Amino acid sequence: MSAVGTVRRVEQVMGLPVSVDLRDELIGEQAVQRVFDWLHEVDARFSPFRLDSEVSLFSRGELAESELSTDLRYVLQVCVDYQQRTGGAFRAWLPGRALDPCAVVKGWAVQRAAGLLRRAGARNFCLNAGGDVVTHGEPGPGRRWRVGIRHPDEADQLCGVLEVGSAAVATSAAYERGAHIVDGRTGLPPRHALLSVTVLAADLTIADTTATAAFALGEDGIAWAAAEPGCSVFAVRADRSVFSSPGLPLV
Amino acid sequence: MRRVIPVLLLTVAGLIPLWRFEATPHESTAVLADPAPAETGSAAPSTSGAPPAGGGQPASTSTTGSSESTNYGSVQVQVTFTGDRITEVRALRAPTSTRTQGALPQLRQSALSAQSADIDTVSGATQTSQAYAKSLQAAIDAKGR
Repeated sequence: MSAVGTVRRVEQVMGLPVSVDLRDELIGEQAVQRVFDWLHEVDARFSPFRLDSEVSLFSRGELAESELSTDLRYVLQVCVDYQQRTGGAFRAWLPGRALDPCAVVKGWAVQRAAGLLRRAGARNFCLNAGGDVVTHGEPGPGRRWRVGIRHPDEADQLCGVLEVGSAAVATSAAYERGAHIVDGRTGLPPRHALLSVTVLAADLTIADTTATAAFALGEDGIAWAAAEPGCSVFAVRADRSVFSSPGLPLV
Repeated sequence: MRRVIPVLLLTVAGLIPLWRFEATPHESTAVLADPAPAETGSAAPSTSGAPPAGGGQPASTSTTGSSESTNYGSVQVQVTFTGDRITEVRALRAPTSTRTQGALPQLRQSALSAQSADIDTVSGATQTSQAYAKSLQAAIDAKGR
């Protein structure tokens, strides 16, 4: 049930519920279809859960580094970069495990999807992939996108609302079973784990990777992420105390 | 050949916090639709990444999630999958307000009361179908605009 001239679509892709909310008139389903086609392509190429993906082939040593696609090389470079910046807390290569660059792939793929929409002429849209968000333009004339931050204790409550224009917002949290972010330094869950950490940045590759890395660092991750260039942070610690960066556009 | 369409029907009842510092105002829940009898697939939460390609048929049993009323309001969303595709998201019940209630005062200081209609999207880790179906984002998607 979309308003006239808008497109809304939700699909499960890359193991994530991906919602597209396109507010431009005259930008049709085709542009949205390209977004999902691209994300399906990313899944086929980079999922560590598919034996024939480029990531799996490289992980098993069946592809040499020199044979990798430019895209995967870029993703792995981001992984290495954040591993260094976090002193090894963020790690795509864990001992005894297959290579898992998912934390970077998701943000990068969705940011690229936003680029596809922009090239198709879209100016006002919002992408949400498993709770990580890219906004562009405005939701309506003179309005800013209102991005709620999920309350860590209640799935249907918010603990904050950010008002943004073109931006990226990503959240890492422990409240979802099956989300296993480990501290790469120990291979275990973070020692002083945060309940949730939300990062606002200009680009979802940065926002998503920074949020994941901050979560892996635990409480130390708050100050680390807040000091990352172009990043603002909203974090809830285990004792329910809240940190928010100065200048965070909280409503 | 249409495959069986599993429907995930989940209810969020606000967890009753251990700490209550003050009575919260009663909040009503708008019933947007009647729950249809649903085939419920046993959607195993997957970790991030792809579900196995061409996964087996989920066991189907017919259930309707009960929507419990708490003073936070409640959400009940019906998500229909056809294979990997989410073909429909329908809000059966959505909170009329999303008053935030932290279990401890610090979080409550950042609490807000907002109509979910005022929110365009929600950031939060909802990387599995089940987490999504329980999320405010699903309610927003279901309502459209």
